[in-house]
Amino acid sequence: MGFGDLKSAAGLRVLNDFLADKSYIEGYVPSQADIAVFEAITAPPPADLLHALRWYNHIKSYEKQKASLPGIKKALGKYGPADVEDTTGAATDSKDDDDIDLFGSDDEEESEEAKKLREERLAQYESKKSKKPAVVAKSSILLDVKPWDDETDMAKLEECVRSIQADGLVWGSSKLVPVGYGIKKLQIQCVVEDDKVGTDMLEERITAFEDYVQSMDVAAFNKI
Amino acid sequence: QVPVLQTNNGPGLTGLMTIAAHLVRQARKDQLLGNTAEEKAVVQQWLEYRVTRVNGGSSKEDTRTILKDLNIHLEDKVYLAGNIFTLADILMYYGLHRVMVDLTVQEKEKYLNVSRWFNHIQHYPGVRQHLSNVVFIKNRLYTNAH
Repeated sequence: MGFGDLKSAAGLRVLNDFLADKSYIEGYVPSQADIAVFEAITAPPPADLLHALRWYNHIKSYEKQKASLPGIKKALGKYGPADVEDTTGAATDSKDDDDIDLFGSDDEEESEEAKKLREERLAQYESKKSKKPAVVAKSSILLDVKPWDDETDMAKLEECVRSIQADGLVWGSSKLVPVGYGIKKLQIQCVVEDDKVGTDMLEERITAFEDYVQSMDVAAFNKI
Repeated sequence: QVPVLQTNNGPGLTGLMTIAAHLVRQARKDQLLGNTAEEKAVVQQWLEYRVTRVNGGSSKEDTRTILKDLNIHLEDKVYLAGNIFTLADILMYYGLHRVMVDLTVQEKEKYLNVSRWFNHIQHYPGVRQHLSNVVFIKNRLYTNAH
């Protein structure tokens, strides 16, 4: 979760992409979630990030009521797209500090308290390091979905296929390929995380739409 | 078919926009018609648009034009009148529901701002009523998240 560094162009782009289909950070009303993100942004987003700018101007209009908006302000890392790594760190609530000071406190002497703090920080660093996701094995799969006949509504068929949601599954572009007698098959791309999604599962769920789908084949399978 | 409102005291009223605006004022929810002069004008503009352009007899060509117009208008706005929810959003939602239900995934993506606005309005308390919920899935192209 999180948007990365909202003071950077990259972070604002993540925010922009996130807001393309949403009016608010969370839910359908302005809340403390919007205020939390709004306050992390130093200036209005540039004009080319039109979704972020739209959201920014809208939340700005709630300036006077911001204290009374519903919800509780959480750390920035709790909002945003699920597939972005939280770079804000659990304990810090202001600065984005990726380099944790391993050698401890401001005090010259190693007091009991300072020692405890240093140990705590070390433990945090270790756990953060171990949690950094290893490179996840992904594959790009091209699927051929065949309808019953040339009267099958291909738009609906595509909608059914795209409605299949799973953790580790992202749908890509698609096209209709004629196979003869006026029949077209749907060729659709997807990217899957090997650990989470397999072609068997995809086949099962796609062929479950018996009204539209006659069969499904894997046209191509590439490791990314 | 033009709606008519018959009241016990006062004249009968004809016309969707007229009746709706009257009911809003009667219910003392005038903010739904806009607060400033500019807002009121914009609300009127979209009510007029709704009544003159968005009706059952629209051709596919007309529908495309409507969606294009709305998509451009909603690029930098959360609601039709900007930052406030108004009668324009309500009547446009009802008027467009039949169109939105039949859009393909690609079309919903193409008119992204209309989709965002429609999804927002249909979740507004009390608006959707008996109408079906239109599903919007974001077709996300794979990005390498680092």
